[in-house]
Amino acid sequence: MKVPCCLFRNFSYVPPPPLVPVQLPSSGEAHLWYVVPDEVKDPSLLSQYMDILSPCEKENVLSFRGEGLKKAAVLARALVRTTIARYQINGHVNPGSLKFCKNKYGKPELHWEHDLGKPEHKVHFNLSHTSSLIACAIAVNSLIGIDVEDKQRKLKSNLVSFARRYFTPHEVKVLSSIQDPELQRQHFIKLWTLKESYVKALGRGFSAQPFKTFTIRIRESESGDICALNCLDNKAGITVECMDDPNRLSKNWEFATMELMGSHYAAVCMENSAAHQTDQGSYPMRLIVRKTIPFVKDELVS
Amino acid sequence: MASTALKASSSLCVRPAQSQPKISGSRSVSLPINRKACPSLTSRRGLKICCAAKPETVDKVCKIVKKQLALPDDSSLSGESKFSALGADSLDTVEIVMGLEEEFGISVEEESAQAITTVQEAADMIEKLIEKKGA
Repeated sequence: MKVPCCLFRNFSYVPPPPLVPVQLPSSGEAHLWYVVPDEVKDPSLLSQYMDILSPCEKENVLSFRGEGLKKAAVLARALVRTTIARYQINGHVNPGSLKFCKNKYGKPELHWEHDLGKPEHKVHFNLSHTSSLIACAIAVNSLIGIDVEDKQRKLKSNLVSFARRYFTPHEVKVLSSIQDPELQRQHFIKLWTLKESYVKALGRGFSAQPFKTFTIRIRESESGDICALNCLDNKAGITVECMDDPNRLSKNWEFATMELMGSHYAAVCMENSAAHQTDQGSYPMRLIVRKTIPFVKDELVS
Repeated sequence: MASTALKASSSLCVRPAQSQPKISGSRSVSLPINRKACPSLTSRRGLKICCAAKPETVDKVCKIVKKQLALPDDSSLSGESKFSALGADSLDTVEIVMGLEEEFGISVEEESAQAITTVQEAADMIEKLIEKKGA
């Protein structure tokens, strides 16, 4: 690791560069931060990312096969740490000092040992990555889940057979009704990300919520085109219905789906806080999207 | 009474009626489940209560995994290879399981499908299902 010679190094520790601070998401708002691995080439930058990881995380990085996967693993952890650190609750937070633990189902969570901020501002996060894009979603006092997929992703198996096997009858019906194979494939990928984002938001693992146990309903846009899901205005049209637990109200969950960089589909699922619900249903989720190269630059996307 | 089954020798499988699969963190997926109380196929306890799969089964699984993840033929996979470490996300894992179902003529429950994390786990599960089928 290279270090300017004017700095005194104690056991190889160098404080990470500063991060541009950001306000926490408000109620009903989610933040999405993403990084593109191909745009991160500087070895010393990757070294700085590695430096803020915990020993456990470093070990995990090394368990991946191949440099590409290792790099993605480092970026993923660095993204989570630097993103959360930006919110600077209680003053400056060193991204390397954040601690994570797992909930009783194994979902990674921020550990509150440092008592970051007032108890009513609990930061929730979720991570998703493909080889070409890594994204982190942040919410306050709401469970949140995110999934991203490459738009070009093709299944090895037949789409409809796959859907019959793993999706609900309604979802299969909608999928099968799409004539154009390319539009059908795109819809499949979007649906997959929506279902994944829900399961990840729930945080209880696939075994607790297999895909066949809940239906994602996508309300058609005015033109009747059920595939027109790429603007945030369509958020209000997505709901989840649980087959096995009618008591779990679908209005408790908000979804948003979008395209990132024109190359990826992303879905975000967030729990509605009680304050956010009215008799007519809840307000749609506000989503702030930023592209970042941690320690280098941030760019507001929407 | 649980019996200690030696590798590849006994066909006696003593497992809890409700299987509790171990999920490890894959990339685009949720949630590692750390249920330390539940015996896993790769448990280190002295009581190995499930039979390990035949090498041929492991080989077939490796082939299917390589194909799904577009890995070169000569890449070295073993029973211990974790899908996520090879770059598989949840969609890959489910497709791998579908491929295994076709190859071996078995049917895997959805919960198990999304919970398999290594080549060995896949192979062991396959053989258990084949056996159940034949019984």
